[in-house]
Amino acid sequence: MNAQWHPSGDLITRYAAGRLDSVQVMSVESHIARCPRCRTAVPYDEGWLESSWDGIADVVDAPRTRPLARMLRGAGVPEHVATFLAATPALVRSWVVAVVAVLSFAVAAAHLAAPDPSRPLDALVPFLAVAPVLPLAGIALAYGPRVDPVHEVQAATPMAGARTLLLRALAVLVVAIALTGVATPLLPGPPGLAAAWLTPSLALSAGTLALSTRFSPLASAAALAAAWLAAVTAGGVLGPDALPLFSPAAQAAYGMAALASTLLVHLRRARLDRGEFRWKSMA
Amino acid sequence: MEKHGLTDAAVSVRDVNRRFGRKTVLERFSVELGRGVTGLLGPNGAGKTTLLRILATTLAPDAGEVRTFGLDPSDPAQRTEVRRRLGYLPQDPGYYPHFTAFELVEYVAILKELTGRRERHREVRRVLAETDLSGAAKTKVRKLSGGMRQRLALAQALLGDPALLILDEPTVGLDPEQRMRFRALVSRLGESRTVLLSTHQTEDVAALCERVIVMREGRAVFDGTPSGLASVASGQVWLSESAPPAPVLFWRTSDGRYRTLGAAPPGGLSADPGVEDGYLLLLGNAAEVSA
Repeated sequence: MNAQWHPSGDLITRYAAGRLDSVQVMSVESHIARCPRCRTAVPYDEGWLESSWDGIADVVDAPRTRPLARMLRGAGVPEHVATFLAATPALVRSWVVAVVAVLSFAVAAAHLAAPDPSRPLDALVPFLAVAPVLPLAGIALAYGPRVDPVHEVQAATPMAGARTLLLRALAVLVVAIALTGVATPLLPGPPGLAAAWLTPSLALSAGTLALSTRFSPLASAAALAAAWLAAVTAGGVLGPDALPLFSPAAQAAYGMAALASTLLVHLRRARLDRGEFRWKSMA
Repeated sequence: MEKHGLTDAAVSVRDVNRRFGRKTVLERFSVELGRGVTGLLGPNGAGKTTLLRILATTLAPDAGEVRTFGLDPSDPAQRTEVRRRLGYLPQDPGYYPHFTAFELVEYVAILKELTGRRERHREVRRVLAETDLSGAAKTKVRKLSGGMRQRLALAQALLGDPALLILDEPTVGLDPEQRMRFRALVSRLGESRTVLLSTHQTEDVAALCERVIVMREGRAVFDGTPSGLASVASGQVWLSESAPPAPVLFWRTSDGRYRTLGAAPPGGLSADPGVEDGYLLLLGNAAEVSA
């Protein structure tokens, strides 16, 4: 093929229509790459071309998917929700590391405690005390001007308020429960009792969200965590048994509290769009 | 009605009050905003940011009425609808330092309900190109200069082609060339949208705003055109070889002469007033002016 050769109009038409064999395609492409006149003679669909460039740019420019987002997508979470949750401040490495550290200490404490033969379950108290509080730390950091550097931008978007806080809180709860669930079988004692952290955990998390309809998530989580730890401490020190807060009756009460709080959150969800501010009717 | 369904009063604020503790930051403030670029000028604490935050729906007024595109932001559903049409650059936009520029803008795009991946990425690329940040898309935000971060914050505000743009001190940290590009961008956007920006830069107001509101202690003390603001100082701007006696506002200019605002100094020659002259005189006089 010499420099004077130019593909015929018919050849270009068939090339554009994809009706040439691979040898002919290579000949035409190597020519039009250096011949502006023939290049302009190739018909093209503008919409298709734009979409193709978009696709290429999407592959070249797109950020790498974060490992957490990949995991969430693997679990069936929609792509945009997975990307959003992977950015959740409360799910960043430091919170996860803190949860793992606290759980490790609690498990180690359970094993190292010298149990009183008459009260063999006391060794579980440290674990049962801290496990329900762990999601609260995450929820406290999930939404608000003091905990999220991008809050002011975020608060002016359609996702502000309940949608953001509840999605993040749910993610935090799932992660905390999964990590605590992994730690539970490592504890000494009956597995049923070792799992007694779950309902208080749900009740405290739902209670934090319910309180967040009136106060900030940070203040709500801090208040409930303090109340819970005070109750556990008082129960351990003053009560006849170190574990009254985990009795079947107490578990039923936690379950009821979790349900009631969830209902309250649903009814008052518009009030989660408040942060430090009070939207009220201006009519 | 135009491209975005705006009327001439896209935003209406009536008798809005807002206090922080004992301090009244906005006092019976009223304004109507239509299409075009409006600048808010005022000293620190004048209430500019509070007004912008109320319009951006991140802060509720204590009293008064706000309507944006006819919607009432005190109603949760209507507030969400306002936010769908809003682009907001706060005074302190914040950032996640470990994100890249692309990731940060994409994150806000998700918050703005751009759920389709390809469409979202296309929009992120568009606003990064608009703010001249395409080359920094993969750079971590913590490694960007202050001016680049400011442009990144502006980029997120442009997502979704909002009908109302609220920009709180958007030119902070921009160098002169970036400021010029910003002015070109905002004046183009103002052709079909409502843009409200606050600034300390009277040059920005003179260069790109069709309307300027000067705020002082929670109230508007001037509402008119930039030339109207300049004319507040008509007959009160003087150039002289020697410093005038106090107490008048004066400063030494680059040619060694003294520019005086107010009463004529001895030997003073009258000079053409600028927006800054009018602004400074207004702040010296709390008198309400409309031009």
